[in-house]
Amino acid sequence: MSRELRIDGLAHAYALRSVLDDISLRLTAGRTLALVGPSGCGKTTLLHLCAGLLTVQKGSLASDFLRPAVMFQQPRLLPWKTTRDNIALGLKATGMRPAEREARAETMGRAVGLDKLALDLFPHALSGGMQSRAALARALALSPDLLLMDEPFSALDIGLKGQLHRLLLDHQTEHGLAVLMITHDLMEAVRLADTILVMAADPGRLVHRVELTTPARQRGESDIYRTTAELLQEPAVCASFGLDLPRTGIATGCHHRRSGCAVLPLRACSSADGAGTCAATPAPRKKGFSC
Amino acid sequence: MTLLRAWLAGIPAYLWSGWGAIASLFLFFAAWEAAATVYGVLILPPPGTVFSTLAGLIDSGTAWPELAVTARRALTGLALAIAAGSVLGMLAGVSMTASMMSRPLVTVLLGTPPIAWLVLAMLWFGASDGTPVFTVFIACFPVIFVGALQGTRTLDGHLREMASVFRLPARMKLTDLYLPHVVSYLFPAWITALGTSWKVVVMAELLSSADGVGAALAVSRSHLDTASTLAWICAVVGTLLAVEYLLLEPIKRELESWRQQDAGGLT
Ligand SMILES: Nc1ncnc2c1ncn2[C@@H]1O[C@H](COP(=O)(O)OP(=O)(O)OP(=O)(O)O)[C@@H](O)[C@H]1O
Ligand SMILES: [Mg+2]
Repeated sequence: MSRELRIDGLAHAYALRSVLDDISLRLTAGRTLALVGPSGCGKTTLLHLCAGLLTVQKGSLASDFLRPAVMFQQPRLLPWKTTRDNIALGLKATGMRPAEREARAETMGRAVGLDKLALDLFPHALSGGMQSRAALARALALSPDLLLMDEPFSALDIGLKGQLHRLLLDHQTEHGLAVLMITHDLMEAVRLADTILVMAADPGRLVHRVELTTPARQRGESDIYRTTAELLQEPAVCASFGLDLPRTGIATGCHHRRSGCAVLPLRACSSADGAGTCAATPAPRKKGFSC
Repeated sequence: MTLLRAWLAGIPAYLWSGWGAIASLFLFFAAWEAAATVYGVLILPPPGTVFSTLAGLIDSGTAWPELAVTARRALTGLALAIAAGSVLGMLAGVSMTASMMSRPLVTVLLGTPPIAWLVLAMLWFGASDGTPVFTVFIACFPVIFVGALQGTRTLDGHLREMASVFRLPARMKLTDLYLPHVVSYLFPAWITALGTSWKVVVMAELLSSADGVGAALAVSRSHLDTASTLAWICAVVGTLLAVEYLLLEPIKRELESWRQQDAGGLT
């Protein structure tokens, strides 16, 4: 039987403020679940519940994964350890010998694009993107069976993003890794996930679910663009992000421009006329998406 | 090559800071000399006289044994305070309740003047080594305790969460998470405590012991020998400065290397 993370009727409140309400989901080994939603809707809270950092107040959360790893929204590297030792931290905790874990950390560091020089630096001397890659390497070095990631690629340029997407997919095929990832980038979600869950705020709840049947490695670019565009036309998604609903009358034109905004690479986006703000780049709650 | 250049570029600033210190020291000696000529040798002997007296004390072999006795007492008290203060402070820092409860106690300890402890210690320990050692211990303990407590409490909660997610065992949490952070609070506290111990031990000896620098000071005072009094004071201050700048500063720099790795070759 394959391992599974099961969440049923999960709710969470900070003091009296309800942040999550009635969350239910399943995540099985080898699958990727992407969680998208407006800022402050409780995604990180849900992830921390899954990581066991918060106690479950209501509902149930059960996981049979043995080696979970977490990549936090902030890099959370130990400032007094070199990048190499930071990456090897989880391995050290498992009792691996120094030589072995350092070699492993070096391989992992190289895989996320950190060279020897960067590995010898202390975190404060790394750029933001390098820090988040170190955090990713630290999580992947454990060869986890469940990987929880909070906006893992948001600090990276598009080239690195692509490279790390491939790394993640490789790891997944190799180790049958289950991934729960939070992202603000719908296209990234469409590119990597098997299931996309859209959350709405106040209180955080799941409002939409998309199952992508084609395996992530076989998705073509045009498929990805099209699916992202479709996702953005979903009323529940628009409502969740505070975007204007697509109006039926000028639907095609609107959708067209919208999808253009959503899916075209940055270059096209910035050269777009002033008519459509680039709402699909994650600027949640940005009103006035004019169609 | 870049390192060398950075080092070379740093030299003028370093020398300049050194010259600044030396210049201010000489200014101090000049003021001392001036005051000595105004008030006369009996009240305030000039630096030259004091240093030749000190040299005489060292040559005749009286200085080292007394300094050694004093150092032994100060370091014993300090070592006890460091051990107890660091461990208890960190334990208290881990628990919210313990840190809330210990705070008023520590304030009381910090607020009580060492001389009050000395009187109590003289009643309890008499003229034995226990009196200065205890006084030093009780004067240093709260300083170190507070350092350890604050260090432990200020550890970033995010890092603690990270450590628990990565399943760091208890020993690793101590050595890889808490200690490196706490040390940057503890070490300054240790240095402060070292200064305190050195001052307090001389005071305690002055009133309670038959040997040590404090006792020597008491003797020179009863002989109205201002020159040897000042010579002993110079010996005490000189030892403290030597320990702090020659021993502790380099250790501190080593421990804090992760903070300013880019600071250049001078460190
Ligand atoms: N420790 C806490 N105490 C009280 N309230 C909190 C705490 N952590 C988060 N919250 C609140 O819970 C809500 C959800 O926070 P959360 O961090 O889960 O949002 P998020 O969906 O991850 O947002 P973002 O996309 O900006 O990271 C926010 O309104 C936040 O103010
Ligand atoms: Mg978040």
